[in-house]
Amino acid sequence: MMHGSAGKEHVPGKPVTVTINGRQCRAEEGETVLSVAIREGIPIPHLCHEESLDPYGACRLCFVEAGKHGKREMVTACTLRAAEGLEVTTDTPAVTKHRAILLELYLAEAPKSEVIKEMAARYGVTKTRFLKKMETDDPLGGKCVLCGLCVRACTEIMGAGAIGFINRGPYTEVNTPFLEPSADCYGCGACVKVCPTHAIVMEDSGSERVMKSWSSTRVPLAQCSGCGRYYAPKDLAARTVAALDPPLEQDLAGLCPACRGNQIAEREILARFGGAGHHG
Amino acid sequence: MRVETEADLKALQAAGLKKLKPDKPRIAVGLATCGAAVGGRKVYDRLREAIARKGAEIDLVQTGCIGYCREEPLVNITLPGKPLVILHKVTEPDADAIVRAVLNGKVPEDKALCRVPAWDHVTGFVMEYGKGFDAIPLYQDVPFFAPQRKVILRNAGFIDPGDIGEYFAVGGYGAAWKALHGMEPEALIAEVEKSGLRGRGGAGFPTGLKWRITRDAPGGTEKYLVCNADEGDPGAYMNRNEMESDPHMLIEGMIIGAFAMGLRYGLIYIRSEYPLAIERLGRAIGQAREYGLLGENIMGTGLSFDIRIARGAGAFVCGESTALVASIEGRTGRPHPRPPRLTDPEGGLFGKPTDLNNVETWCNVPAIVANGSGWYAGIGAKGNTGTKVFSLVGKVDRVGLVEVPLGTPIRTIVFDAGNGGANKKKVKAVQTGGPSGGCIPLRLFDTPVDYESLNKAGSIMGSGGIVVMDEDTDMVDIARYFTGFATGESCGKCVPCREGLKHTLLLINRIQAGKASKKDLATLQEVCETIAATSLCGLGQTAPNPVLTTLAYFREEYEAKVKP
Repeated sequence: MMHGSAGKEHVPGKPVTVTINGRQCRAEEGETVLSVAIREGIPIPHLCHEESLDPYGACRLCFVEAGKHGKREMVTACTLRAAEGLEVTTDTPAVTKHRAILLELYLAEAPKSEVIKEMAARYGVTKTRFLKKMETDDPLGGKCVLCGLCVRACTEIMGAGAIGFINRGPYTEVNTPFLEPSADCYGCGACVKVCPTHAIVMEDSGSERVMKSWSSTRVPLAQCSGCGRYYAPKDLAARTVAALDPPLEQDLAGLCPACRGNQIAEREILARFGGAGHHG
Repeated sequence: MRVETEADLKALQAAGLKKLKPDKPRIAVGLATCGAAVGGRKVYDRLREAIARKGAEIDLVQTGCIGYCREEPLVNITLPGKPLVILHKVTEPDADAIVRAVLNGKVPEDKALCRVPAWDHVTGFVMEYGKGFDAIPLYQDVPFFAPQRKVILRNAGFIDPGDIGEYFAVGGYGAAWKALHGMEPEALIAEVEKSGLRGRGGAGFPTGLKWRITRDAPGGTEKYLVCNADEGDPGAYMNRNEMESDPHMLIEGMIIGAFAMGLRYGLIYIRSEYPLAIERLGRAIGQAREYGLLGENIMGTGLSFDIRIARGAGAFVCGESTALVASIEGRTGRPHPRPPRLTDPEGGLFGKPTDLNNVETWCNVPAIVANGSGWYAGIGAKGNTGTKVFSLVGKVDRVGLVEVPLGTPIRTIVFDAGNGGANKKKVKAVQTGGPSGGCIPLRLFDTPVDYESLNKAGSIMGSGGIVVMDEDTDMVDIARYFTGFATGESCGKCVPCREGLKHTLLLINRIQAGKASKKDLATLQEVCETIAATSLCGLGQTAPNPVLTTLAYFREEYEAKVKP
């Protein structure tokens, strides 16, 4: 079952005005306050947010104080929906205090992550009082904060479900089932793309893509019949080509995007100038 | 047969009464999990053999549990025309003497705990047993029972939970009949609202209002009604006993709810750790179908409603509503932020509006319908009406299930019913509400047990566990135990709960090892406050309560363990 907003048609909400830190922002009713803030360039820290997925509320960093008519409540901006007259303050004393503790927890959980260090420093947190997680053979290199974006991108956007959460509570980790190479992984790299702390390691080696963080899952790459370069995961390339409408001409199907572009351009030119531009 | 007329119901009641109060002696052994655990099953077997040996005309049955755990195994004896007599601490060798006495028209008085000349089964039927045995104390004079008022455990320990006939005997399904045949759904919901019934799972949300929201949600009859039977607090077992001792009251409550909300699908989400409750519920559901109380055209009214059982796979967090729904749907039991709430158009089970109520909430419903909202609202305190079953455990003299009106002071429960500390030790505190609750010190024992007062004291009502601590209890260790429990049961989705609780536990371990400083105490306090303020679901938001309350009320115990 797909839970993401991917594929759902966007029905624009009623225009409303939301006040963030005293600034009046135009928003669509029902969109999240975090989305509004990002668009308006108002900084609210976040790790588990991704515009193409439903609000998840796991990283707890985007707390703001919000309410109407003076009543205020601490809520996460990623799950707070814009409504007319909503007033939001991003850096209240309570938010600042709790955020600092959360950042300390993040520094202990992902001691190797530069992203976390920079983010924490931005909010004045440079040290953690908590015991740092030390694992020598962590496939995510001490950078994972378990925001869940990789799992959700894999399952909800790609429909692959190659990775998932293992265990629960403080023992939670992300990997393939039974820590075995996954047959479901497309090697699309969506997980790498969405990871906020750059924890996931993916490497192309010859004719294969190796998902190093995911139990060294190996995915065959397609070779361009033109330049010979390995350009994309084989199954994914075939799937993408098969989904094109109108379909790709047969002799273009085996080419990498660069060669395909060149080919199409060349044909276009030939068709237009009858070979006049062709100097061998 | 199917119950289609009021005469059918009356006939079934009369037939059931012949079993409950036969014209020959009846011996009933309390065989809920608690009774079985202390040898009740063997007592039952010996009694059966003794009866067979004598070729005696004695009915031998199993009942649920009346709740006095310390005195188990409990055996009831009913002689025609005599009061029901409860024997306590019955052992295998007692079997012969019991059968002998019964055959002589007597009971072994040295084993007798109390006698019950008459019993109000609350749903419109008072059982008159008889007179005699004046030397045996009356039920209401037994100190453990004296402060109690049985509304929910109205039948527990008296009827055979495996026999729908005995439930009919005590007026069972009469409330469902009254509701389905004599009330409009709207009036029924109003009645539940007026009763003031609040969710017994711990949060105390008004039940009638939840029903109304579900009824008003779009979707016609394509909605779900779910019973939350994922009782998981350490030290809490009232839901287990309610289901094991009287499964039909839960089913009857759900039928009434289905009629009120106008929906057709019911589910009981129950933890697999409760095999006997699952078995008894399964049998009870089967019997209810046989009698036309579940399925199509219930009681001839055209109402269609059925109940299925969904079993949990052993995660505490699945008692949280959104995780519970995920678990039933076959997804990982991880909560998601609310809203959407379960009652919202797409927020519930399989995307349908869903009403979720705790076992005990459902069990109150037939009593409210049978006696009216005014009667119910007269029990307990304003805003906290009705009774609540508490499992009184830990270092208390009389361990057991105590049902009292809401608003009863902690002192009454611990000292009047519980007789204070076990082995004459001094009681120091109680922990209410399980891992989400807090520790309340002796000096606050006049606190009435209601949703708001417990919150004010830093704890919660929770599902109803009361764990007693005495002078020997190390309160830091108590905090460590509950934090360890919550850490292991955290789903791992949000960082304050997953990481914060882990570090809380590490800090407490440091304190216990004598390696912590005053600064660590401050850190402990800070991280707990952040976990409470920022966690995604109720588990994390309440998990620091054991630490925060012990820090507030027993700070000296922490300070004695840290370096300056």
